[in-house]
Amino acid sequence: MEYEISLLTIVGISIIGALSLNMILGFCGQISLGHAAFIGVGAYTSSILTKSGVPFLLSLPGAMALSCLIGIIVGFSSLRVRHDFLAITTMGVSFLFTGVVRKQEVLGGEMGIAMIPDPGWGKLGYMVFVILLVVILAIFSLYLKRSWMGYTFDAVAEDEDTASIVGVNVASFKLIAFALGTAFAGLAGALYAHNVKFIDPESFGFIESITVLSMVVIGGTGSVWGVITAAAVLSVFPLWFQFIDDYKLLVYGTLLCIVMLFSPQGLSGIVADLKGRLVNSKEGLHAAD
Amino acid sequence: MKIKSIISCLFSVFVTSCFALTLFAADTIKIGINVPLTGFAASDGKSALNGAKLAAEQVNDAGGVLGKMIELVVYDDQASPKHSVPIATKLIEKDKVVVGVSGSYSGASRAAAGVYQSAKVPYIAAYAIHPDITRAGEYVFRTSFVGEVQGRAGAKLVGQSLGKKKAVLITLNNDFGKSLAAGFKEKAGDFGVKILNEYQYSIKDRQFGAIVARVRADRPDVIYATGYFFTAGPLVSQLRAAGVTVPIIGQEGYDSDTFIKIAGKSAEGIIITTSLDRDSDDPEAKDFIMQFEKKFNHKVDMVAASAHTAVKVAAVAIAKAGSPDRKAIRDAIAKSEVPASTGIISFNALGEVIKDVQVQVVRDGDFRRHSIIHDPVLLAPPTK
Amino acid sequence: MFIFELLVQGLIQGGIYALIAIGLTLVYGLLRILHVAHAGLYALGGYCAILITNASGSFGLALTCSMIIVGIIGMVVYRIFYQPLLDKAPFVALIASIGLFIAMEEIFRIIFGAYGLTFSAPPLQDTVVFLGIYLRQCEIASIVLAIGLIAGLSLFTKYSRIGIAWRATVTDPEMAESFGVDVIKVRYLNFFIGSMMAAAAGSMVALLNNLVEPTMGSVPSYKALAIIVLGGLGNVRGTLIASLAIGIAEAVGTIYLGNILDRDSIAFAFLIVVLMLKPQGLFSKG
Repeated sequence: MEYEISLLTIVGISIIGALSLNMILGFCGQISLGHAAFIGVGAYTSSILTKSGVPFLLSLPGAMALSCLIGIIVGFSSLRVRHDFLAITTMGVSFLFTGVVRKQEVLGGEMGIAMIPDPGWGKLGYMVFVILLVVILAIFSLYLKRSWMGYTFDAVAEDEDTASIVGVNVASFKLIAFALGTAFAGLAGALYAHNVKFIDPESFGFIESITVLSMVVIGGTGSVWGVITAAAVLSVFPLWFQFIDDYKLLVYGTLLCIVMLFSPQGLSGIVADLKGRLVNSKEGLHAAD
Repeated sequence: MKIKSIISCLFSVFVTSCFALTLFAADTIKIGINVPLTGFAASDGKSALNGAKLAAEQVNDAGGVLGKMIELVVYDDQASPKHSVPIATKLIEKDKVVVGVSGSYSGASRAAAGVYQSAKVPYIAAYAIHPDITRAGEYVFRTSFVGEVQGRAGAKLVGQSLGKKKAVLITLNNDFGKSLAAGFKEKAGDFGVKILNEYQYSIKDRQFGAIVARVRADRPDVIYATGYFFTAGPLVSQLRAAGVTVPIIGQEGYDSDTFIKIAGKSAEGIIITTSLDRDSDDPEAKDFIMQFEKKFNHKVDMVAASAHTAVKVAAVAIAKAGSPDRKAIRDAIAKSEVPASTGIISFNALGEVIKDVQVQVVRDGDFRRHSIIHDPVLLAPPTK
Repeated sequence: MFIFELLVQGLIQGGIYALIAIGLTLVYGLLRILHVAHAGLYALGGYCAILITNASGSFGLALTCSMIIVGIIGMVVYRIFYQPLLDKAPFVALIASIGLFIAMEEIFRIIFGAYGLTFSAPPLQDTVVFLGIYLRQCEIASIVLAIGLIAGLSLFTKYSRIGIAWRATVTDPEMAESFGVDVIKVRYLNFFIGSMMAAAAGSMVALLNNLVEPTMGSVPSYKALAIIVLGGLGNVRGTLIASLAIGIAEAVGTIYLGNILDRDSIAFAFLIVVLMLKPQGLFSKG
């Protein structure tokens, strides 16, 4: 069972990371190629806190707060630049994060931080805790999507100029999206750090940002269920796909390409498509009657 | 539309087939190994895996252990701690390996070490150098040097054997380079070596023009440059092309045939501290080099030798323990006295290896023996 | 004197960046696609150069072949991966491109081996001492090649018919089409030239390092994106200046900022500061 438990823990943490990006990219339409940096901020914050004796549960809000704070700062950049410029700015944030952490001896520098204390709930307990948080975050995401705030996010994502004309305060909604998304990214980071118990700058590099991003995009930006499914599948992908060992990353890269080429809406697009066709063919049958 | 549904169909078949696949194996004794087979560390992963495979094959040809064959269970961890943790759990839980071996880098090994320790399964890191790996607990061992130890050997080599007094450090900015440089700096003073300057570079750099220009202005007697073959090759050629002729001291990261291929003539005379002696009289090392080059048609390197050593230590310990009991095997590993391709392997209380440092020099396009540093006091690994 | 040396080293590096980034900015200027896989073509250029040199013994021939082969593959990449995505959201093409780049790196590893390839007898390695500066012939060659190609490109777009059509398309695709410019042809040409220049950069880097690895493209891939943004997306002259500036900043930064910031982060630190001050890049049009 332990293997399944550890897999589920990883899946859960990935889902939290992906859902947090989904709030920024999916709901509010602001692309971020630097999401792993916020996960990293959370991981480093909570590790340093627990290593200095703070209880694990108390370190979580700390991680979320700091991550959120930096997220808001980066969010300000989304007020200055848009679209491709924002993509590259956030990419820059990702590279800058690893570049700076690497050189900080306080943060362990290149050696990273090892021996991060265990929360002490056993593997099963930790998994249950993570899954619980996933459920809460999923419910919160679904709620947010259908709330007035979600609709406003939609308007900003759709066309921010029009949104501002009809009186939406675009700037503050973008900042809220960044604040929420990065706070939960911090949570994902803290959970990751206390699961793996070793962190180094490379663990939160640009590749990780892309991994999280591909979960959201393959799942279908904005679709909570799609993102959860994609995060679950992609996070265990490297482990299931051991049997094609040498071709694993090749398959992964090709998959990204194929999904984008044939279904840019991601999984949720495929599902919607199939549903639509199912309804159509049923209607066709009825028509034949 | 049709293409779309075919693709999504194929995709689902693909995903479900992954569940269905299980490997059936005969009654064997399993040794688990995590190596980076894809991604940026794939070249070291491949060498490590080949070394490990050879070791398993040799043990099996000699009749296996406890009357059974050894089976290597191999998983690709992409040198990432994120992947190595579930892999470690899978090896322990699903594959029921009796010993784990890491053929991977520090991050992945450090993260996996915790899992092995808490499951009380012995784990041997072949060449990862992070000092914290063995601190995970009494079940974790390492068959190669901690970075600091090898750095200290470098200081002795520079100050005593070569008699050079003014050094410039060119340090690779990762755990490998940093810990080597730390060891070098710690002992440099003791051997009368003055450090003029230290420059850092990142693992992705291949162009060192700025550093080279600066080093030339520093006029050192000797250069202590940490790196892997793919950074060291270009670095050494660029230093030589700029007219810097002083000795360059490298470490086990240089220890690959590809280094010599990249640096070409510039590689001549480069001295490195490493674990593998090409001119060894020791039958173990000689046999390993011969067999490896025959089997894989690729020259040996330090990584391959280290992984070979780690698997061999594991196999010998299983035989000595007399049963596949993980605790008994751990105790047997702790008391190891195993002749292997990288020397006679024994461990201190922390699980760090105690052995001599091999100094090799490049001559006529091959690594050759330069000297051996035997200094148990200087080379004493950390004990806690 | 030492600063002068750093400057020269920065220019060598900057010239390489320019060759890569100009292709990228051309693609962006025309199609609004962030073409990450461009760096895969750059690495492919390096592989072609080494394989053909080792087979034929002539680096000149290898360079030419590599540029043509990669140029053609660049057009194929456009046809298969980008053409279907032109009307989709911009990050769709970006992610497809990242996927393609990952796949390309893996293909290189599987076909050419994880250890990388080297020249069996690397040409142009002798040292030339010039004003007290030690330069290898290949370093001089890479500067000369960069200047030649970029000058050639600017002459081509200024004076040749198709070059003018191309510039017109970049400025205003619809207007150009209504004046009878074959936009599809211009796109293929764009990818051919951009990829060709990346191949030239890859070949020169292969020669400078005497090594190509599967992951060779990973550094320039994202850094080149930073450079083209600094240069004002789609602006060739701005890209050229930004490339040289980053090259020099990195050379100087390696020595003086080594303890604070990674060399690879310098470009991005630069980028963020500039974008916050001038959201359209340093050399934006208008």
